[in-house]
This record gives sequence, structure tokens and C-alpha cells, in this order.
Amino acid sequence: MIQQVTLMIDGAPVKAAKGSSVLDAALEHGICIPHLCHVPGLKDTGACRICIVENMKNGSSTITASCTLTVQEGMVIRTSTEKIQKLRRNIAELLVAQAPNSRAIQDIAVRCGVKEVRYPFRNDNCVQCGRCVRYCAEIWRANALGFVGRGKNRRVEFPFGIRPEFCKNCGSCILYCPMSVTPCGGPMKRGEERLCGKCESQTLMAPGVVGACVRCDLGKGFSCSRHMQ
Amino acid sequence: MRKLNHFSDLESFRQRLQEKRRNILSTIIIPNGTCCQASNSSAVIQAVLKEMAKQGADKNIHMHLTGCHGFCEQEPMILFEPGNIIYCRVNPEDAKEIVTKTLKNGEIIERLLYTDSVSGKKARTEAEIPFYRAQDRQLLQYNKWVDPRSIEDYISIGGYRALTKALDSISPKTVIEEIKSSGLRGRGGGGFPTGRKWAEARLAPGDEKYVICNADEGDPGAYMDRCLLEANPHLVIEGMMIGAWAVGAEHGYIYVRNEYPLAVQHARLAVKQARDIGLLGRNILGSSFSFDVDVARGGGAFVCGESTALMASLEGKVGEPRAKDIHTAREGLWNKPSVLNNVETWANVPSIILNGSGWFASKGTKGSKGTKIFALTGQVKNTGLVEIAMGTTLNDIIFNIGGGPKGRKAIKAVQTGGPSGGCLPVSRFGIPVDFDTLYETGSMMGSGGMVVMDEGTCMVDVAKYFLKFLQDESCGKCVPCRIGIDRMLEIVTDITEGRGTRQQLKLLEELAETVEETSLCGLGKTAPNSVLSTMRYFFDEYIAHVDEKRCPAGVCKKLINYNIIEEKCNGCGVCLKSCPHGAIKGKKKEAHVIDPQLCLRCGICVTECKFDAIAVG
Ligand SMILES: Cc1cc2nc3c(=O)[nH]c(=O)nc-3n(C[C@H](O)[C@H](O)[C@H](O)COP(=O)(O)O)c2cc1C
Ligand code: SF4
Ligand code: SF4
Ligand code: FES
Repeated sequence: MIQQVTLMIDGAPVKAAKGSSVLDAALEHGICIPHLCHVPGLKDTGACRICIVENMKNGSSTITASCTLTVQEGMVIRTSTEKIQKLRRNIAELLVAQAPNSRAIQDIAVRCGVKEVRYPFRNDNCVQCGRCVRYCAEIWRANALGFVGRGKNRRVEFPFGIRPEFCKNCGSCILYCPMSVTPCGGPMKRGEERLCGKCESQTLMAPGVVGACVRCDLGKGFSCSRHMQ
Repeated sequence: MRKLNHFSDLESFRQRLQEKRRNILSTIIIPNGTCCQASNSSAVIQAVLKEMAKQGADKNIHMHLTGCHGFCEQEPMILFEPGNIIYCRVNPEDAKEIVTKTLKNGEIIERLLYTDSVSGKKARTEAEIPFYRAQDRQLLQYNKWVDPRSIEDYISIGGYRALTKALDSISPKTVIEEIKSSGLRGRGGGGFPTGRKWAEARLAPGDEKYVICNADEGDPGAYMDRCLLEANPHLVIEGMMIGAWAVGAEHGYIYVRNEYPLAVQHARLAVKQARDIGLLGRNILGSSFSFDVDVARGGGAFVCGESTALMASLEGKVGEPRAKDIHTAREGLWNKPSVLNNVETWANVPSIILNGSGWFASKGTKGSKGTKIFALTGQVKNTGLVEIAMGTTLNDIIFNIGGGPKGRKAIKAVQTGGPSGGCLPVSRFGIPVDFDTLYETGSMMGSGGMVVMDEGTCMVDVAKYFLKFLQDESCGKCVPCRIGIDRMLEIVTDITEGRGTRQQLKLLEELAETVEETSLCGLGKTAPNSVLSTMRYFFDEYIAHVDEKRCPAGVCKKLINYNIIEEKCNGCGVCLKSCPHGAIKGKKKEAHVIDPQLCLRCGICVTECKFDAIAVG
């Protein structure tokens, strides 16, 4: 029998399998915590920090990613406090300013309540969520992709920069890549980057419930975990 | 070497060593650490050795090569015992005189004595030198008595006595209680209570546990861990052994920064000697305790000093941090309970066990006990390693020990805690230096870097320097740190180059808070400190850059102009010749002028002009 623990997420008691993550527990109960690097079945790394929550303990709270936080009996989690909403919005703003050329990223920005982008746009083609790397390593055990470099120079590469023989061209890396979903209005050229904002209507979000999951169509594009269940 | 099989073997070995040493009449001590070697100590040693052999002084005088003695600015140094005489800034050419006069006849060479930078008086001994007098050198005091390459030296000054005391008569549980009540907190930056960490590891399920020494020390300007490990490796190893005994570990690692070859060499040699003599290995000194240590070289990145990244690196993986909602004391190296402590933390353990927790807790403040070593650098007269009791004020450190400003400009701030720390203004120099007060004031203890800045430093530029460092050193895994630091740097660069706006200042503050709250590991969480602390205490400088497009300290190149003050210029023409960009015009004996279009603001003319006729503004 699977052992279960009970925790409180946004005031609701939630049962979850011992050892699972807070994000999984929340999603299972229809509480959508926005997330990007998390893919069901892959190890979570806590890279994007979009899924942050407040973990309340003895009257104080710590902010941490929910995908790497293991459920514990009696835990009290808040997923959408004002503070979290603000921080999440700021992270999403950093993401969309860095890599606006993707419907998935634009969608996340909108879901997290980004209304304006206060940084000059860049046009990166990778947000380093590591979905491709982990999928390749953990599902196919191929390790055909990996991260090299650090800081600003960190990027996804084939070993020694050449596609290895053992890469089976399965295409999973592209399927799971949030950057492979073009924005509704077509690819954005350099200098034309903007916050698209069109998807706002599709997510049918009432103000104040930022992040509530409505199983929007947008998530399909880059295999949002809600669409894979 | 015969193995020691019992506690009493160690004691009789110690007695024999001390007996032998009692016959030594006088000792000449020459520190020869990495920093000393950088000031040519090796050449001095060679010269003195040659001279001693030539004059036949090598029979009855013992020469001792040790680790750094702390006053790095005055190196190479020579110390003489008995008498505790110190010579500073010795040259190889002085060797002959030193041997003839001081070694053979006990005569003191005035010229080589330390001249106090403040009073101008000569000082003979450590006690007379203000730099040493105001310190409380609990850990560093041993450096002068041990040759780091000799386990015999360490044993003869009482080494490994704390270990035998623990093994012989204190249960692991009591050791932990002792460390807990001593109030020892981690010296690696976070200040986590060491006893609590040990207790957690001890109680964590599993037979296989590890103790690890963090000697990665990546903070620019900090070198106290290098000094300790280089100068007294057995002290650190003894501390680790006591920790291992307490938590139930049989294996340990010393993770040394790649750029510290001498520390690696000394640590490896120390481990080998300890093994040979039976102080490491199975059934140490005939007890039930078995323990061994490996020395590993670091992954060559600042972030590898972070606990989870360090453990990943030890496992042979990429040195990237991982989420740490479960302490590494429960799930650390290879997911086994692991105690990671800083070099200085380990070095404090033996004396706590020997002298009792009460002795340790009698020094320091309410929340921070014992002493702490700082690397004092920057615009102060006396730079070097400084060990003080916790609670000493910044004023004491900077003005008494440090001797005050180095140049003509007044001291304006001190940066503590390295890239994770912040800058505190002179108005806060009255605070006692301890973990909590530094944190409340907006900075950090960090590992103990202390950079003093004078009026010639631009605080926005300081923030920029640390952001640049962290941008390069961030592992790049998580978004707030990788992109957030990059964007903060972008904004601060805008400010220093005259493009900054008031909105950007607000954005900078909001971004700093986001990076601090949401980053995965300590690097990102503390990265905004340099920005936040300078904004808190030196906001007027930010405003001057943003509103008036002016850098008050005259540092930010895009915001300054060089001008020749007509009244002061006597037309000597030195500046004209020295300017590499041909920006200065003028006739001999007439006031010169600088063409702002051609001037690249290198500042060479300012240093060349003997009449202070060039103004920066
Ligand atoms: C980016 C980063 C770098 C660090 N570098 C070091 C280091 O060089 N040396 C060190 O002892 N601790 C370093 N630490 C702190 C360690 O993570 C860890 O807290 C410490 O080694 C624990 O030992 P202590 O409790 O004795 O301080 C670093 C932390 C971070 C976040
Ligand atoms: S290539 Fe795509 S999937 Fe891979 S890390 Fe970059 S954004 Fe993520
Ligand atoms: S905070 Fe910085 S160093 Fe730490 S995991 Fe994130 S990117 Fe890496
Ligand atoms: S989904 Fe949790 S950090 Fe990315």
C-alpha cells in the first residue's frame, strides 16, 4: 500500500503519496501552480523557479520551488499569496524579456500576471529549462544532450558540439521544448519582440486567481503536465 | 615510523619529542606560506641557510619553516625565539648580517625591526606591534610553532590530545553536547550552529556517514582557510576526526580549491604522516574508532563551495547546486548523512574539546562565540590576516589593527563577506562584528573577507564589480540568478554610464528582492546584497549618477572629466609627455589644457603631475 500524508494547500487538506512533490500533489487536486521546467516522470531540478510557493512553519514562511519540495505530514503550503504572485510575476517577466519568441513563454508570462516588460527584450532561443536534457537522459538513457559552461555562457550542447551516433533523432527534445512553440502571430524578428498578451482571453482568468488552471489549450503545445495526465 | 597502538604510546612519543626540543637553544622561524613565497621568502631562506652553513651556525640553531604569520604586508619576515623578536621585509642580502649579529651574538638589527605605520616607532616583538597586540590569536598562534610538513611538531605542541581525550573519556553524544554548548557556529558563511548539524547527522539513519572539510574558499581576497590548512593541516584533521567520532563517520574528505597547490600538498602529506603513525586508519590508537581522509581538488568554480554543489563535485558530477529542502546532514554525499564544515570551523574543534565549551563560550557575543579570522585588505595601512574575538568593533579592526587609512583620503566604507556580503558605512563602524549584527546591518560575516574603501571608491562601481563576479560565477541553472544578476548588472552599468533613470532604481530594488527570495542556492540568494546595501547606505551616490550624471568619487569613466587647474599648473609638460592619447596641449611654462574629446580618462596624467594640478570631476 502506498503510504499517504496529509498536507494543507491553500487551506484545503490534500492527501498525497509519501515522497511525492508538493507540485504533483497540488496538480493532482486541480490546484495549478504555474510551472515550466517540471515534466511528469522526469526528475525535478528546480531550475525555472516559476512554481515557487510559501512553506509555512512556526509562524514564518520560506519561499521555495514546489517541484523539488517533498510533501510532509502536516505541511502548510500557500501557492498564491500576494508575495508569491509578485515574485512569480517578476520571474516570468525576466523569462519573457529573455526569450519572448515562444507561445509557451508568452503564456506563462500572462498566467503569472505580467502586464509590462521593464527590461530591453532579448531574443534567446533557449530558457535552459533542461527538459530536453533530462528527457534524453532519463527516458531514452541516451545522454545525447547536456549543459556546458556556466553562468551566462551555459547552454545545451551535444557532446563536443557534434550530434552523436547514438542520438536516435527521436525528436523528444523538440517536442518538450517550450521554445519550439511559435507565438500566435508568427516568429518575432529581432527588434520586434513584445509581450503578446493575446492568450489572456484563452486562459479565461478572472483577476485575482492568477495561476488557476483552466486546462487551457495553450499548455498542449509544450506538453504542460496538466495535459499529459 | 613505528605505529602508535595506544593512547599512552602517543603520550610517551610526545614526551620524547619535547625532551629533544628542550635542547634547542634558539630558533629562527621563517614563514613560508603561499603569500610569503609571493614576497620572495624562499630566496631569503636560501640565503640564510647558506650563510648559517658558512658561518657554522647551523649546529646549535634550529631553523623552522612555517606557514603564514598573518602580517602579509610585512613579509618576508623572520622571527627569533626566545625573545620573540620580529624582523620585517627582509631581503636575501640581509642574511649575512642576520647570522653574524643576531643569530651568533644576539644583537638586534634596528633597521630590520618593524616601524609602526602610525607612530613611527620601532617595535621589537609581536606584543609591541599594534597589528598583533589588538588581536586574539587563538587559532593562528600555533602557526609559528609548527612546520606544516612535520607531524612531530604538531604532536610536540600538544597535538591530537583533544582526540585522545574524546576517544578515551567522552562519548560521541557528549562531544556533540559540548560543541552545542560552546555555541560554535559555522565559519564558512552561513553561521549555522555546528553542534546542531552534527546532532542531525548523528541521528540520521544509516551506517555510512561522511565528514567533509570545505576548503574551496572562492571569495576574492579571502585566504584564511588557505592559511590555516597550509600552516597547520593537522589541526584541521584533528577537528575532523573528533567530528567523525561524534557523528559516527569512518570516512572524510578535504575539498581544496584547485588554485591552492601548497595547501593540497601539505594536507596530503599530513594525511600520509597521520596514517603512517597510526592516527588514521583502522582502530586508531587501539580504540574502536576507525577513520580515514582523502584530499580532493576542487572543481575550479566559486559555486563549488556551496554544500550541495561541493558534494556533487566530490561524486564526480558537474558542480551545480541542487534543492536542499532536506539538510545535507541527512542526505548529503551519495545521499548519505554528511557533515560539511569550513576549515576554520574544524580548526576550532580541538581546543573546545581540550579546554571545554565554557572556555570557548567565554569569548564573543551572545549569539557568536569564539574568535574569527578576517582577511583585512584595501585602503588600510596594515593588511593581512586578523584574528579577533567576536564582538570586536569594526572601528577597532580598521583603525587599531588596520592602522587607519592608507593614503590621504578618509575611509568611507568596509565591504564584508565577499560577494555575498555588503558594504557598511563609517557611521556603522561602532557595531560589534558578529553573525547577527552584521546580518541585521545589511551585510554578512561571509567567510571573513574585509575590504576597506576610502573616498576614492565609487559605491555603485563596487556593486557593479561584485555583480560582474557573480554573473561569471553563477552556475546558470536557475532563472532568477542567471537572468536576474545579468539584468541587475545591465541596470547598474546603465547607471554608471549615465543612462540610468529613477524608474530603473525602483526596478533594481524590486529585482534584487526577487533574486534574493527565489534563487535556488545561497549564491543567488545573497547575490543582491552588494546592490541592496549600497543602495541603503549610499543612495545619494546612486542619485548623483542618475539625476546629475555625476560620479562623486570620480571613478565612473563615462561620467568624469579631467581638467587642469590653471593656477596650479606651472607648465612643466610632464602630463603632456605621459598622456598616451595625445589629449594634452600646451606650451612650456604655460598652463596646459586637456581636450575632452581625445581624453580616454585613463588617469595617468593625475599620477604623473607633481603639483596636483589635474582635477577629476
Ligand atoms: C556560492 C557559495 C559559495 C560558498 N563557498 C564556500 C567556501 O568557499 N568555503 C566554505 O567553507 N563555505 C562556503 N560556502 C558555504 C557552504 O555552503 C557551507 O554552508 C559551509 O561549508 C558549511 O560549513 P560551516 O557550517 O562550517 O560554515 C559557500 C556557499 C555558497 C552559497
Ligand atoms: S532547448 Fe528547449 S527544452 Fe532544452 S533547455 Fe532549452 S528551452 Fe528547455
Ligand atoms: S542560485 Fe545561481 S548558482 Fe545557485 S543554482 Fe541558481 S543559478 Fe546556480
Ligand atoms: S517547475 Fe519547479 S522550478 Fe521549474
